[in-house]
Amino acid sequence: MLKTYPFNPTWCPGCGNFAIWASLKQGIADTKYPKEKFALFYDVGCSGDMADFNQYYGFHTLHGRALPTAVGAKLANHELKVIVIIGDGGCYGEGGTHFLNLMRGNHDVTLLVHDNHRYSLTTGQMSPTTEKGTKTKSTPEGSIEEALNPIAIAISNHATFIAREFAPDIPRLTQRITQAINHTGFSIIDILQPCPIFNPKQSHEWYRQMLVKLEDENHKPNSREDAWKQSVRIDKLPIGLFFQETKPAYHEQVSELKEGPLVNKSIETIDIGNLIKNFR
Amino acid sequence: MDRDSLNWKVAGYAGEGIMTTGLLFSKTASRHGWYIFDYPEYPSLIRGGHNTYQVHAGKNHIHSQKIALNLLVALNRDALEFHRDELDENSLIIYDQEDDNIDIEKYNLPGKSANLPMIRLASEVGGERVMGNNVALGASIFALGLDLGILDQVIADVFAGKKEIINLNQKAAKAGYDYIQKSGVRPLIGVEPLKPTADLAPMTGNEAIALGALAGGLQFYVAYPMTPSSSILHFLAETARMTKIVVKHAEDEISAANMALGASFAGVRSMVATSGGGFCYMVEALGESGVSELPLVIVESMRPGPALGMPTWTAQSDLKFLINASHDEFPRFIFAPGDAQEAFELSKKALVLAETYQVPVILLSDKYLSESRYSLKLPETVFKNNRFGFENNPKPDTNSFYPRYRLTETGVSERSVPGQSGGIHITTSYEHDEYGFTAEDTNARKSQVEKRFKKIESMKQEIPSQFWEEEPQAKLTFISFGSTKGPIRQAREELKRQRVATNMLNLSWLWPFPKDQVKKSVESSKSAVVVEGNYQGQLASLITQETGIVVKNRLNRYDGRPFYPEEIVNYVKNLSI
Repeated sequence: MLKTYPFNPTWCPGCGNFAIWASLKQGIADTKYPKEKFALFYDVGCSGDMADFNQYYGFHTLHGRALPTAVGAKLANHELKVIVIIGDGGCYGEGGTHFLNLMRGNHDVTLLVHDNHRYSLTTGQMSPTTEKGTKTKSTPEGSIEEALNPIAIAISNHATFIAREFAPDIPRLTQRITQAINHTGFSIIDILQPCPIFNPKQSHEWYRQMLVKLEDENHKPNSREDAWKQSVRIDKLPIGLFFQETKPAYHEQVSELKEGPLVNKSIETIDIGNLIKNFR
Repeated sequence: MDRDSLNWKVAGYAGEGIMTTGLLFSKTASRHGWYIFDYPEYPSLIRGGHNTYQVHAGKNHIHSQKIALNLLVALNRDALEFHRDELDENSLIIYDQEDDNIDIEKYNLPGKSANLPMIRLASEVGGERVMGNNVALGASIFALGLDLGILDQVIADVFAGKKEIINLNQKAAKAGYDYIQKSGVRPLIGVEPLKPTADLAPMTGNEAIALGALAGGLQFYVAYPMTPSSSILHFLAETARMTKIVVKHAEDEISAANMALGASFAGVRSMVATSGGGFCYMVEALGESGVSELPLVIVESMRPGPALGMPTWTAQSDLKFLINASHDEFPRFIFAPGDAQEAFELSKKALVLAETYQVPVILLSDKYLSESRYSLKLPETVFKNNRFGFENNPKPDTNSFYPRYRLTETGVSERSVPGQSGGIHITTSYEHDEYGFTAEDTNARKSQVEKRFKKIESMKQEIPSQFWEEEPQAKLTFISFGSTKGPIRQAREELKRQRVATNMLNLSWLWPFPKDQVKKSVESSKSAVVVEGNYQGQLASLITQETGIVVKNRLNRYDGRPFYPEEIVNYVKNLSI
């Protein structure tokens, strides 16, 4: 069979990834930034499989490691727009340390977390965001851990752009992605994503009853305290922009990068004469 | 004491400035025009514990530390207790009777001893307790017949910008010098002062690695601190303002290795450094470098393990791990520099070859090489670099993707980097086709595995002649790798004096393995001995694996200490050959 490039998606019918994929492509296009200046870092999972369905510079990395890999590329060439495509398992589980540290550094990368509350590529075990008591293949008697709250963590840990959206609302998600890419500094969109195969309980219908738009709640995204209150609600699941602030990004604070991207630094002639002197 | 060299040691509690004192002595000896080798020992704590620093200096090239001391500066009772075996009837011991109320007779030490009220003299010139070290330094200068003016200049340079400290240190040194002179100690007949020179730079292996990497065009350095690799991070971070490279202290070793790969993907030369434990964390990234064909240089400075082991001591026990690290197979280079000079050269080379072949390169050091100082002489300080393996004008195929993993004659395919139009492709950790798209069919898998392994033939061509020295009628050949080079060279000088002819081969390229030269060397004399810092004889078994030759004689050390030339000499003399 002749291959067509890029590949056609291999996601299940009804998977939220289709909607995120569509929003991503439109969201990128809407920035008007040249396509070749985007670098996408894909984690491992159903979401990461998107690497083969896209047409951007991409790096399909190790599990949980799309985060530091993206940082390395951004520091090497800060003219790139860097996006991480990652799942709840990769971002909040395997890559949890990186997740915490990227926001502390305000690294200028955009995290699109495909949060379906399951490990779906490995056929449905619990993930860090699975609700306590949920029976999955790895927790047949019900999960014991409490669900991780990524929004509350991000608010408490210096993230400068924190949003949650619902995958199927493509126009809204598209706008949010463009906004996140245009934000200088660390941005995260925790994207709630139905997984009809391995998480049928949290269906479209379930989400429709749970979701509430932050703007309808009169929320202004300029107070960490208000954002935090919204993030820990149990009556409803708020979507929208929880918080945004303008602060210098990591690469803007690295004095060695003031003269331009590292990748443009010539190594043709290196003089270490001054360094050697101090040893004598 | 001969007129060619001197061996000085200072010993006391950790946290009392012994490292600085040792450095000042090394620099002073070096500026006398002498070669030096210095070697610190310290426990893994910040205060207390026994800390030593020795400097072996001489007119001719000095290759390693040695046991027999000419001068011991004892800063506490333990120092008098622990170093008895390193002293002989010609040694001089300088100690502070007043400070610790020491009865020197009780220790029954060989050689002469001289009381030096270090702490009192330091306080008389207005200095604090730690300044007592400088009093001892001044006394050492007199006792070894060195030039106090050179020490003063070293102090001024090391503490440049801190006028008060310079003044106090110099006064303290002068007080020690004068006191010991008046006390009737006669200078030991040391090496003849040569013409003071600025040519020799005392430098640790780690500093040489850092400088070599800079010379080789390092742009991005990322690490998580781990003894004994941390001083590379410190040096590169400290000098980043001048070198304009980016230095990042990452949240863990996994992050460090993956950040380096991300930077490499974007087109810059990247390096990380760690020790065995941290390298364990990096192993998955090593494999990723292999399959995604991204250049990556990893410095691994060994210490005894497994797990936490003995953090501040030395070992050569990670060799087989490094050759086999990661699941599945891919080509890699592994270098093990034998001294600071080789560390500089190979670190530079590592960055070039990683980029040329798009493979991981591991630079293997150990605590002994990383933290000991050698006299480095660099004939030049300006270095030229070319770039390898980049497509400057990438053109997509009809499917609109760039064939970054194109099958080529050499196995190396030219890369495009993000930002270049026409170069869009996927770099990937999965098995893939020529465009980087995931592939699981047998054709793609086989052709990509074979593509990666095609590089091996040209990689083998890169292997330079390994360090080899021979003597006529040698009955024994030493075989070793990495930092064991120094003690063997030092031992062979003594063996030469005793008219025992030997050959030596020291490997600084471990993978691809320099098979032919090893075979020839092992067969060059009646007997051979493999000298290495591990229990099982990892190099010896590697030699058997690669050449079929079994070398029966083994000299192994696995107690965290480096080899001493004296023990190598004794080993040879007791060997029936």
